[in-house]
Formats: sequence, structure tokens, C-alpha cells
Amino acid sequence: MKTRQNLNNRPDMLSGIFHSCLCPCFIIPSKVLKRFSRDRKLSAKARKAFADTARFEKEWREVRAARTRLSLMAQKVLPSQLAAAPPGPPAVMVFNCHNGTTLPGTLVPKAKTSSDTTAKRAFVEATDVAKFYKELFGRNSIDNAGMALISSIHFSVRYNNAFWNGSQMTYGDGDGNIFIDFTKGNDVIGHELTHGVTQHSLGLSYSNQPGGLNESVSDVFGSMFRQWQANEDVTNADWLIGKDIMGPGALARGYTCLRDMSNPAAAHCLSPQPTKFSQYHDGMDPHESSGIPNFAFYKAAMAIGDKSWKKAGKVWYETLTGSGPNPNMKMSAFANRTRSLAGSLFPSEPAVKTAVDVAWTAVGL
Amino acid sequence: MSKLHVERIGGLAGFGGRSHLRSRGELDLETLSAEDNRTVESLFQSQGIAEPSQVRDGFLYRIARTTPEGVETIEVPEAVVPSAISRCVKDELV
Repeated sequence: MKTRQNLNNRPDMLSGIFHSCLCPCFIIPSKVLKRFSRDRKLSAKARKAFADTARFEKEWREVRAARTRLSLMAQKVLPSQLAAAPPGPPAVMVFNCHNGTTLPGTLVPKAKTSSDTTAKRAFVEATDVAKFYKELFGRNSIDNAGMALISSIHFSVRYNNAFWNGSQMTYGDGDGNIFIDFTKGNDVIGHELTHGVTQHSLGLSYSNQPGGLNESVSDVFGSMFRQWQANEDVTNADWLIGKDIMGPGALARGYTCLRDMSNPAAAHCLSPQPTKFSQYHDGMDPHESSGIPNFAFYKAAMAIGDKSWKKAGKVWYETLTGSGPNPNMKMSAFANRTRSLAGSLFPSEPAVKTAVDVAWTAVGL
Repeated sequence: MSKLHVERIGGLAGFGGRSHLRSRGELDLETLSAEDNRTVESLFQSQGIAEPSQVRDGFLYRIARTTPEGVETIEVPEAVVPSAISRCVKDELV
């Protein structure tokens, strides 16, 4: 097989290259846009659309990059001043794609009380995720600078996915067989929003080991958010990812979740994962390799006991946010940082550091 | 008749790979509009385009075609896939 090109890490937003190119979240590579704008095989109208998009895309990328840089800088320079004048909660907005693929869609007025239960749920859960990060970790929204939380619902038709596009969350309705409405999973909403937190902290890339860590961090905080909402301790938690979005067809086949942090290779997982680092190889889908650090977090939290967010969660959060961007971080470096932080954050409780150390060692890291 | 073989992979659920989820389809190039055909050709002609992206949990499309030189395969983000192609896949449990 001859593989000529890989446009990896560029997924989603508009399905169909000639669809409306008016939304401020393009992820089509600018080189592609520029080349298409010069491609005489395409119609003049299409070439103009690509040229216009390329111009806008450049400016948008600069704005987004600047915003990320500013938020990271603000965290370094302004923490004490910001603490003196605590900001209010971030704005939360829900948009309806009406089964189209143009983002963000149309604004849902008063989403908090909308008769559309998907809109209401997206609003309430996103608001609660912001509260989770604020109350437990002192974080002010995704970027720690009050960034608005934007969710788009009813994306595409029978769409079996939810994603973070660098600026906002997007949710499909599911096909009603394998999956149902993706907003029904509070862990899914926590997962997607945490991709934004990772973008504005460690900035982990999305392939190989950093990709697996990126996905794991979203699963860890997605599950932790679910546990926090239910006020569960580690022994009561289900540790499942995607339990509430499984459709009747998947359930009938015995699949009860996407992933199980307590048993990543389990037969009831739609997407079983490796449990040991020795099973890892480069090129693995991040949703697969994330099983290794997921299992380590589960083991650490279980060994520490009580509520996962009280100690294990704090160690993971500090690892994620405490030292600036590190996009190419390997799993061993992440593991070692949690070991170190477990000791420094809980100096009078050596059992925490031991639990973290034993957990990582058990998965081969 | 020349066919495109299409597989949608990735996403939050991790379609493809070890998962029990597959999303596949095929279509005849002749059924695509002239413009979509040109887009497909441009995608196959493109080389080494992979800028950093902040999209997470998005789908990729693995598209294969047979040429006199052999089978060519590309993996492209959903954003650049003509809707006629993205519509041809069907999600299923395996």
C-alpha cells in the first residue's frame, strides 16, 4: 500500500470543503486553502471562497494563538492580583446547529430553561464543569482567565461523536442505535471541556505518548467530574467513560461504556485499551494508549481512598497546570512529575506518594 | 468503474483500531460531481500537509483508491472531505 499523505490531527468542523466557510473556527490547513485557491481545475467561485477563507483563517489562527499565549502569561504574572479581585463565573452559551455542520450555529436564547433538553443539559453541565474546576482547583474556566464556554448541539445528522475544536465543544445526537445524544454523558462534557484546559496548560500534542496523555487527562477529569457531581468516593464510582451515551444496539451486544478506567481491557468496553506501557507503540490512537495512564490514575485514587478529587485529582491537576506548556511530554515524564508532586503537595502523608508511585509502577512506568 | 474505499476513524469513541466500532463505505468516483472529483484529486496530490491543530476527538477519513501504480491511501480530517464522501460511510458494531 502506498500512503502518500497524512493530514492527521486536522479533524472536523465542516464536512464538505465547499460548505459554508464563514465560521470562525476553520481547521483546514492554510496551505491547502491557498493551494486550492490557485487550483485552475476548481471553479472561480470555489477558488475565491478558498482565498477568502485562507485570509480569514490566518487572522483567526493568530487570534487563537495570542489568546492561548496571553492566558498562559497571565497565569504566571497575575495570580495574586487576580485572587484579590475574584472574577465571576464564565459566560456559558449554547448554539444549535439544527443538524447542519456550520459552527457555531444559532444561539439558543435562555438555554438554561430551554424546552430543548439537549440545549438545557449542555448549558447546565458546562456551567457545572466550570464550577467543578473553580471550587476544587481554583481555576477560572478553560483558560484560567474566564474564557466563555461555548457548546454547539445537534451537530450534523445522526452524528456519533463529540469534539473540541480548539475554541468550543460540539455534540452530535448519536444515531439512536450505537449511541444516543452525546450531551447525556456528564463525563463526556467534562472530557471535552478538559481538552480546552489541556490546550491552555500543558498543551499536549495529539499523537503518540503526549496524545495518549492528552486523552487520559480528559478521561480522568471527565470521570472525576462525574464522581464529584454524585459526591461519590472512589469505591462507589463506576470509573466508566461514556456509560450514559450508549445506545440500545450497543447495550444489546453487552457494551456498557466506551472505556473503563478500572479495567481498560474489559470485554464490556466498546473500545478496549492496553493496561501496560509494554503494550504501547507509536502511532496508536490516543483513545487507545490513554488506557495506560487512565489505569494508573484509577489505581492511585483507589489506593489513596476517599474522594478522587481530594488528593489524586490535585496531584494530576497540578501536573497538568503547574509548569507551563510541554507539548511533547512523554508518559514517563508525566508519571515522574506526579510522583514528585504527590510528595510536595502532601508532605505529611507519605502514603499518597507511595500510592502514586505504586500505581505507575504497576502499569510499567 | 473506479472506486473510493472510505473509512472514518478516531473520534471520542475511537472508531477503528481495537475498538468494536467501524465506519466504512465505498463509492464510485463517477458518482461524484466534477468539483468533488477535483477536490479528491487535489487531496491525493497534496503532500505532507499537517499543521498543528487544536481539534481533539475529531474524525479522520482514510480514503483509498487504486491507480496503475498501486493502492494510494490518504488520511484527512473531516473538514476537508466532500460531504458526498463523508455521507457514504455507515457506522456499525463489529
